[in-house]
Amino acid sequence: MAAAASGDAWGVLVLTLQVAGAATLVAAPLGIALGYALARGRFPGKSVIETFVALPLVLPPTALGYLLLALFARHGPLGSATLGFDPGVLFTARAAVLASAVMALPLVARTARAAFEGVDPRLELMARTLGYSRLRAWCAVTLPLARRGLLAATVLGFGRALGEFGATVIVAGNIPGRTQTIALAIFSEIQLGNTAAALRLVGLTVALAFGLLWSVERLLRVRPERGR
Amino acid sequence: MSAPQFELALRLPLASFALELELVSSARALGIFGASGAGKTSLLEVVAGWRRPERGHVRIGGVTLVDQAAGLELAPERRGAGYVPQDALLFPHLDVARNVRAGLPRHAGAEDEQHVREVLTMLELTHLEGRGVAGLSGGERQRVALARALAARPQFLLLDEPLGALDLPLRRRILPYLVRVRERFALATLFVSHDPTEVQALCDEVVVLADGRVRAQGCPGEVLRGFGSGAGGFENVLVGRVLASGEGAARLALEDGGELCVPAAGLAPGERAVVALGADEILVATEAPARISARNVLAARVEALAERAGGEVRLEARLADGQGARLAVTLTPGAVRELALAAGQRVFLVFKASSCRVLTVPRT
Repeated sequence: MAAAASGDAWGVLVLTLQVAGAATLVAAPLGIALGYALARGRFPGKSVIETFVALPLVLPPTALGYLLLALFARHGPLGSATLGFDPGVLFTARAAVLASAVMALPLVARTARAAFEGVDPRLELMARTLGYSRLRAWCAVTLPLARRGLLAATVLGFGRALGEFGATVIVAGNIPGRTQTIALAIFSEIQLGNTAAALRLVGLTVALAFGLLWSVERLLRVRPERGR
Repeated sequence: MSAPQFELALRLPLASFALELELVSSARALGIFGASGAGKTSLLEVVAGWRRPERGHVRIGGVTLVDQAAGLELAPERRGAGYVPQDALLFPHLDVARNVRAGLPRHAGAEDEQHVREVLTMLELTHLEGRGVAGLSGGERQRVALARALAARPQFLLLDEPLGALDLPLRRRILPYLVRVRERFALATLFVSHDPTEVQALCDEVVVLADGRVRAQGCPGEVLRGFGSGAGGFENVLVGRVLASGEGAARLALEDGGELCVPAAGLAPGERAVVALGADEILVATEAPARISARNVLAARVEALAERAGGEVRLEARLADGQGARLAVTLTPGAVRELALAAGQRVFLVFKASSCRVLTVPRT
């Protein structure tokens, strides 16, 4: 029944990596942009946005999942009745991606913010004084200096997406082969009493998590920069 | 009167006061003198476009950089500033060569490269090109920052206490490079400092800033008389042109009048030279001493005598019988009594050529 409950382990792993990868593609650019805006921007309502962005860190994932469900429900703001067409999100892999991206966003944004705050903003201004446009100064100075922190932010976001459960199960369901990621599969196997299969999946998860955290540690470890 | 180089009228609120000044100057190099926290760096940041004034305008060399009334505000990249901040602000991820070339056009040509080489040679940085900026000394960092600013062919220079972070011996070593830059590039320069020696060596005019307001403006020698020698360690900074050079000594005609014998230090006739001299290195005689080894025996007239903290007396005298450059001399009260010195009296100032420090790097 193990295979019936969660599909084969490699299939689950592949789907999990696909969902987490896609979620990272959504969350990373958005989180990095948010992190930059929060690190450097001065605008009204900044603290509100900061708090709002951090919400998924403290809200129960199931609560967030329910909000997403309400958003895409037939009569919700982004539901088929409102839009006039079915956006095809609920109970699909897209919903799993969306839930994972929302949960990963605060981690990416906060880590990216710290990375940007570690770069002296006057370096960017100096680049502009030397003739660089705002964008070129950002690309030539801020980005390379923050790159390690940004990479760590992305890896952490990916890691968070890999382990996402609460929001995903509400908005995407637990459909083997379609929306069942590794966290959902472990849950299913435990529910069905398939200890060996659950352990196998847990082993995979531990290996993945270890690899990711080890990468983040390596990325964040202070190494003397060439010029620093 | 020549056209104004600097026209600044602005208001910029700061944490504890507002920088509020109106300033017009025709000087090519204008010193901004004042204690820490007087608003000097904020002023340079307004000129560079790093800060936006609440109101006012900034014009340098006739080009309007900011005019709030007209809604004009050039972006930092369009101002043509060469900025050297106090902490150098080198790009930590680039080596020296790439830092210096950071401001070159994307498709820099042979002419640009030649210009960079000239700057690197002038500031004696060629041997550091391959180095990362982490291992550079304070003086090297400042020279790299100066080279980066000059390599970008700026329209004007903003120097924010470029020697401020250095210790005294290093300041004395680096100052001549700034003098050399002034002579070679002849750029409009705003030079921020709280060191009277540096300001006198580099600036044609100085503005004293305190609590965000202009308190005085004028010739550095006159305006900064009451501010002591500063960390540069010299009370007298004299500017002149070389009349003749040879046998290890050069003869200078001072801009303010009078002649001086100084170490040749590679000076060529016609060259502008800046010389610093400590007030305690000058002897005072009431009659012309005969057969003396010192190369400088200069007739002067006492202008003022003032007792200073520590019991010493500061004598100020003008060369060329009261018409020339002013020199400050430190004396003991006993010496003043013994020589019966008084304002208006004719004296002779005596000092060795080797006591004069030439603040000009020999040409390479």
